Amino acid sequence: MTPETPRARDGRAPDVFTPGGFVPMAGFPEREPVDFAIVGAGAGGATLAAKLAEAGFSVVVFDAGPFWRPLDEFASDELEQQKLYWTDPRITGGDDPIALGGNNSGRGVGGSTIHFSMISLRFRPEWFKARSRLGYAVDWPISYEEIRPYYAEAEQALKVAGPVRYPWGPLRGPYPYRPHEVNAPGLVLGRGAEKLGVKWCATPLATVSAPRGKSPPCVYRGFCNFGCSTNAKQSALVVWIPRALKAGAEVRDMAMVTRIEIDRDGLASGVHYVREGESRFQRARNVVVAGYAIETPRLLLNSACPQFPDGLANASGLVGTHLMTHASPGVWATFEEEIRWYKGPPNMAVCEHWNYADEGKDFAGGYAFMSQGPLPMAWAQTVATSRGLWGPALRQQMLRYNHTAGFAPVAETEPRPQNRVELAEETDAYGLKIPKVVFGYSGNDRALQRHSLRFMSEMLEAAGGRDLWTSTDTSHLLGTCRMGDDPRTSVVNADGRTWDIANLWICDGSLFPTSGGVNPSLTIQALACRIGERIKTLARRGELACAP
Amino acid sequence: MARGYPGYDVLAKWRTPSFDEKTREVVRRRIAQPPARRFFTGPEQRLVEAIVARLIPQPDRAEPIPLAAMLDAFMADGRGQGYRNEAMPPLEQALRVGLAAIEAEARTRFGRSFAEAAAEDQDAVLRAAQSGEVDRAAWRGMDPATFFREALLKITAGLYYAHPAAWSEIGFGGPASPRGYVRLGLDESDPWEAREAAP
Amino acid sequence: MSLPVGDLLIERRRASPLVRRRRSRPRAGEPAAALALGTAALAVGGGASLGAALLAERPAPRRRGASDAAAPDVRGLYAAAGLLALSVLLDSAIEHYRGGYRNPGMYTPLAASAVTLSAAISDAAGGGGGKQAVYAAAAGVGAVGVGFHLFNIFKRPGRLNWANLFYAAPIGAPAALSLAGVLGLAAGAARRGWRGAGRKLAALCALGLAGTVGEAGLLHFRGAFQNPFMWIPVSLPPVGAALLAKAAAENRPTPRPLTRGWLMLTAAIGLGGAGFHIFGVSRAMGGWRNWRQNMVDGPPIPAPPAFTALAVAGLAALALLPSETA
Repeated sequence: MTPETPRARDGRAPDVFTPGGFVPMAGFPEREPVDFAIVGAGAGGATLAAKLAEAGFSVVVFDAGPFWRPLDEFASDELEQQKLYWTDPRITGGDDPIALGGNNSGRGVGGSTIHFSMISLRFRPEWFKARSRLGYAVDWPISYEEIRPYYAEAEQALKVAGPVRYPWGPLRGPYPYRPHEVNAPGLVLGRGAEKLGVKWCATPLATVSAPRGKSPPCVYRGFCNFGCSTNAKQSALVVWIPRALKAGAEVRDMAMVTRIEIDRDGLASGVHYVREGESRFQRARNVVVAGYAIETPRLLLNSACPQFPDGLANASGLVGTHLMTHASPGVWATFEEEIRWYKGPPNMAVCEHWNYADEGKDFAGGYAFMSQGPLPMAWAQTVATSRGLWGPALRQQMLRYNHTAGFAPVAETEPRPQNRVELAEETDAYGLKIPKVVFGYSGNDRALQRHSLRFMSEMLEAAGGRDLWTSTDTSHLLGTCRMGDDPRTSVVNADGRTWDIANLWICDGSLFPTSGGVNPSLTIQALACRIGERIKTLARRGELACAP
Repeated sequence: MARGYPGYDVLAKWRTPSFDEKTREVVRRRIAQPPARRFFTGPEQRLVEAIVARLIPQPDRAEPIPLAAMLDAFMADGRGQGYRNEAMPPLEQALRVGLAAIEAEARTRFGRSFAEAAAEDQDAVLRAAQSGEVDRAAWRGMDPATFFREALLKITAGLYYAHPAAWSEIGFGGPASPRGYVRLGLDESDPWEAREAAP
Repeated sequence: MSLPVGDLLIERRRASPLVRRRRSRPRAGEPAAALALGTAALAVGGGASLGAALLAERPAPRRRGASDAAAPDVRGLYAAAGLLALSVLLDSAIEHYRGGYRNPGMYTPLAASAVTLSAAISDAAGGGGGKQAVYAAAAGVGAVGVGFHLFNIFKRPGRLNWANLFYAAPIGAPAALSLAGVLGLAAGAARRGWRGAGRKLAALCALGLAGTVGEAGLLHFRGAFQNPFMWIPVSLPPVGAALLAKAAAENRPTPRPLTRGWLMLTAAIGLGGAGFHIFGVSRAMGGWRNWRQNMVDGPPIPAPPAFTALAVAGLAALALLPSETA
């Protein structure tokens, strides 16, 4: 069941903690400009909405999808829960086409944090200066020291459940909650790691290991990638949106923003959106685009107008370019023991050895890798497409489901201009050009992946696995509107403010100049916290541009 | 080495805390009689039935999982993943072209309709589509291997393992809300999980 | 060039240059040796407990001049032993159910604690001459249990680390059974005129309280102290333990109203804790309906009354200290 009509309206929004319940919500008239119109209520947009509303700004945050009620409508069923994903038409191509849809794209309030795996890792500090310190890719316009307090803030906000002492990275305080008990596939990683003499630990996860407010602790049901009906998962829907609503923000669900309006002075003046079949317009003093790395550049490009014929914020020509993903080639094996990897979050153990070791690599960059726990439908599709199995052989392989374990990395890819999001000629139901995603691996990317496969295979075998085989996959989408110090080589500055349009901002994974070897959600939320603080400072100093 | 889970039925947990009302509603619809054909034409449906019977044969089932009907409903409800490979047309079109091309390949190779060919001949046609060693004319520019993998096999395999009977077959714990799992370790299982057959 | 996808052949090769490899360790799982030991523990421990219980039906010979039916302080010691045994019985039943009774030895603490509980009730009511063998068996079974639990921790990847302290077999739990046994033995000795009973018992109870604080602290740390009331068992009982230890050290006839009062507070905390844990189970996902998960995964209801037991024993120890009339 997917809702047909918007739920956040008429002064109230769904209360995600009470079945059928509501919380009060502000309502801003469309004709009056709000301080901030945010497009997208995911890891970037919802976080920033909360920070800005708490700072006293008037905020409306839009999302194309529904305002989910996890306790009411998240079923324990993979096929039913496909409703969480962005399944509007898109084209994927290039030498190594990226799978989209449920692989990395959510649709609804909470965005991809509704179906993400909750892995909450910080960047290695040196990665913020990858070019100067490590000799590859580019530098970020901020340092680890500048983002560190916001990492801490985000971890606290999410009550990340992580190890008492994290084995990698600079000395840091304990995670807010204790780590979860590692499940069998994670213990396989632990066993293998100890054989190979590398460190490993319970993955820091944004799902609670003890009660938190109205969230009960995780019950280890394993449907994390299909929506958490326990509400233990600390998604943006459950953490930032309630804060935003309480602080006076308005959420408009089932509202597809189709265009950003530019006024005579070349500033953003509001957003056009479609809700309940009607075209509407919300005036705004600032517009923040937070639609993740495909929809954000798509909206900027589709908002081309006479003043900006190549799309908004695109004087550099870089909007949509330098798309990065994380390669995720998996290694799988059969074990004597029962693994039953459907229990618990899918990635309960992690090894970040190759993110922090610089010797013994024939490539630049790094990768973390985690234990895995796919559910039957997803696993059958991996088996079928990677091994080409059908007929009795497919059912035979699937009978090993409870005796299978494996690892997959979050493998860094390089920022390259030819990897990009462009507009195709085909249009969607709103009359907007659909995105075409073009991606291919570089030689360095492949060398990194080969290394990861060799190492993970060795570890899996050392842990007792046999009949090893591999699959290909990717996760995450990054980099299409990257931050930088120089308007010629970036789309926005260190504050997420576009160089070309002073009241147009970006706040999502598009900002990343490099992808790093860890999942991006914590860094996206930390960046959003920082951007919120920066906007507060700029406002105090009178440096925020406004459209009248 | 895979010994199966005799006597295990996920649906036996229907009234336990492993199922909630929302999930029961969904699974009820899943195991109910599938709706009448809405997407495929009559001949297409017969072809699809023959193809899925080779992709995922179910000789052991008195009541086979109705894959062809599930696929028809899947397409009629527009449940595709939305994105497509640049080498493929939209899914609806891809399926019709691909089905017609498979039928054409069967006629070319064996002089009969796919549905009437012998099982090993049907497998030969499918293997040929999978490897791309087919007469490309009928494929109208679509890559047979990509079609086979992304549009046919991936969706069919997914639908099979979206059915409770398949969950029981592989010993999957099944729906789990509000009750999840307690025993997460190696060789550990909760009393409400599947018991593997003894060696 | 694309990566090999589908089947990856792992050739037999020399140790990888990538990382230095450790020597092979035996695989995790229930090794045959542990099963054998567990069966033996069940046989010996269970047999000893039951045998002792049967044998103890005959009243022990009374020493001339020894006190008659249990004096209040001795009764308090038996009550404490009984309460600890009850706590262990329920807690080990639930936790070993979680462990699936995969090792036969896991039935031993149920037998030993049940027998100890029954003996303590009987002895508190003044019957018999003290079932020393039962209590001795309990002390022994508990000690063996600590050994098994340590093995359970060390056999896991990571061995002695925070994660295994949180989720593997709790070290402190079997010690509670030993404590029950020792308290039972002490009560018997006190009844027969044990010298310095008061100070030795006070010291023992102080230690027992400290251990219970440690276990509660570890598990409340695991729970991130998410409810402010979780600080109570790690802040208030330690004061009681310190006061008891002080009483033991001084060994003087002083009234000690603060110590007495604090121990009563500690006793109340034990009962209050059980109440909080009941609330905790009810507010977990699925509440009591999901009892098969929440009673096992949730806060352990039988655990907090260990504070009550030790406080009661501590009060009895105070009563046994030298009095002004001695």
